Amino acid sequence: MSDNTDPVVRTGRREALIVVGIWLMAAAWSVTTSYRLGYNRPVEELKLIWGFPEWTFWGVAVPWVVCGVISWIFGALFVHDSHLGEELPEEADELGLGG
Amino acid sequence: MTNLIPVLLAAADTSKMPSVGYGALIALVGFIFASLWIGALANRKTREGSFMTGFFLGNRGLGAWALALTATVQSGGTFMGFPSLVYTHGWIVALWIGGYIVVPITGFGILGKRLAQLSRRTEAITVPDLFRTRFGSPALGLVASLFILLYLSFMMFAQFKAGAIVMKTAWPGSGVLSVNEDQKPFALSEKDLVALSDDQVSAAVVEKLAPLVGHGFSTEREMTAQLKSLLSADEYTESKDRIVKRSKQLDRLYLYGLAIFSLTVVAYTLMGGFLAAVWTDMFQSVLMFFGVMVLLFASLHQAGGLDNATRTALKNTGPGYVYGPGYDDRFEGPKAAPNAKTAPRMAYDAAVPREFLPLSLALSFFCVWVWSGVGSPASLVRLMASQNTQVIRRSIYLLSVYNLGIYLPLIVICICGRALIPELPGQTDEIVPRMALLATADWPGGSLIAGMILAAPFGAVMSTVSSYLVVLSSGLVRDIYQRFIRPQATPGELRNAAYLSMIFVGAVAVAVNISPVAYLQAFIVFSATGSAATFLIPAIMACYWRRATVAGALAGMIGGASTVLSLYLLGILEKTPEQRIGQLTSFRPYYLCEVDPFVWGVLVSGLCSVLASLLTTPPDQKLISKMFDKELTA
Repeated sequence: MSDNTDPVVRTGRREALIVVGIWLMAAAWSVTTSYRLGYNRPVEELKLIWGFPEWTFWGVAVPWVVCGVISWIFGALFVHDSHLGEELPEEADELGLGG
Repeated sequence: MTNLIPVLLAAADTSKMPSVGYGALIALVGFIFASLWIGALANRKTREGSFMTGFFLGNRGLGAWALALTATVQSGGTFMGFPSLVYTHGWIVALWIGGYIVVPITGFGILGKRLAQLSRRTEAITVPDLFRTRFGSPALGLVASLFILLYLSFMMFAQFKAGAIVMKTAWPGSGVLSVNEDQKPFALSEKDLVALSDDQVSAAVVEKLAPLVGHGFSTEREMTAQLKSLLSADEYTESKDRIVKRSKQLDRLYLYGLAIFSLTVVAYTLMGGFLAAVWTDMFQSVLMFFGVMVLLFASLHQAGGLDNATRTALKNTGPGYVYGPGYDDRFEGPKAAPNAKTAPRMAYDAAVPREFLPLSLALSFFCVWVWSGVGSPASLVRLMASQNTQVIRRSIYLLSVYNLGIYLPLIVICICGRALIPELPGQTDEIVPRMALLATADWPGGSLIAGMILAAPFGAVMSTVSSYLVVLSSGLVRDIYQRFIRPQATPGELRNAAYLSMIFVGAVAVAVNISPVAYLQAFIVFSATGSAATFLIPAIMACYWRRATVAGALAGMIGGASTVLSLYLLGILEKTPEQRIGQLTSFRPYYLCEVDPFVWGVLVSGLCSVLASLLTTPPDQKLISKMFDKELTA
């Protein structure tokens, strides 16, 4: 791999890996929590938190808010501003589409 | 002056009665005009640059709002299919949709920046364009466009039908949405009987038909079977056609709906191209957000809080409604529920006929929503159009708030719906419109608010269709016409080709939907996940892997597509034993190891592309350097 690699490729790749990590963690948490609290349970033990079944609250609603916060942090810390390249001088001319 | 008063009073009175229908109609008409106006605005903006980049890619100038609120998988499905699932299966749908918690970052953080860069370096207008230049292979570009044309046509045709249905339901007096009525496509009213006598149907026959008044039939066959039993053979053959024709009142409305819907969409997309599609999408997304918020508070109020709603809904259904793997009407319907009181019943046991979301599918859908959002051609093209990284970042912020405000509230609304409307046999798709009517019934001006909420799915469908129209037309014009048929086409010719292709696609969609073909639906189900399974891995490789080759990308596309297609075919053609998991549909896929076909598609696609890339000669260094290395700027 040459040192010449564009910074967008590098930061992009790193950010992509971080995002995949977040996705894996979210999936693991959400599915295991929901499964533990929400499957194979007798209905008599139904516990509601703010009207949500307990498993929905801890397995979906709370992670949703947490992931919202993580998204903001991720945006603020990682999505580096970078130059994406000029808008083409006009490929239009090259293809004869000018005007 | 005094003479006018009774007239005014009478007018006020009549307007109160069917106001629900008119409210919806007014909102829809407003929506149609707003869309046309947006199309005109976009038209002005589009003229700034060259026709192709302007019309098909909005001059690569998408801002954060436009990108965030339109780039992810949102369609008519969000407002019809999804609520219907919640209403039917209960809280478990929250886990089904759970993948959306990370969609704001996965949708923009994985490919966003790099794809926006690549699209500039390759000077690509369409996704096939990007593949063709990135890998330096016209053949790859052609394969990509054929796939896109295929998938998008199927998906778009279905959306036309959805649009027509929404229009139909908004028609005043269509009866479909008045909460107490249960109107099926084929039904006879008193009025129809009178009309039948005018049609020269004999009085004896009309008399025999009397018991049918108010009865609805889902299909023509169901109705004719009933007619056969009521009438003598002669009477039947003589007047059957006329009776069926009379009973089809709603289908006529469907055709009007289809006409109005298609004209509107094609018109504003013709005017404004990509930007018109994106802007109307954005407009309806914002509207929908407010609609859902209003509806959320209204339904919580009506249901007496969420706690109460969950418990009432549970009482109306069975234990499966609050637990995994989800509620199954046929197994533990209202009649089965009393058992739950006597014996402790498990929400899940071996004898449950259908599990909506077993563990394997819960995991599958965490992949499906996330990665189909990353890889679908419609999202790819939006990313290609994004203005800069700042826009991508702001889109992440915006979408995380937006999604939180849409999906959980929709679930809550539908749970309240199950509490307030215990049963909606065969019409669970209508739960949101029905809740809108129910919740706003007592409000001053409630009908308009209900109308707005009714217009929301219409808007969603319209904007989805218009963005598909743009992609399809860009595929036909850019990837086929300009590349292969007439490379020397002048701007004027391209413009005409673009317009013609849109009108053509619209006309085909209308033709297909006049009498929807049964198997079409199967392909739509397959297209939605199939398209993402086809393009996800090749897109990732294009962005980040220097060693990826043409053969690799090609293998990835074909591997992903054929895996998903064969798993769907196995299920649809019933070559595999029925699996009682997932959504109840007539077009079930085969869930290999109880995992969704999309996951298998992506795995196979990844394996194929990596192997094929490594087995073929490395790509040309000069090309790779142009795509991956710093630009040599003076």
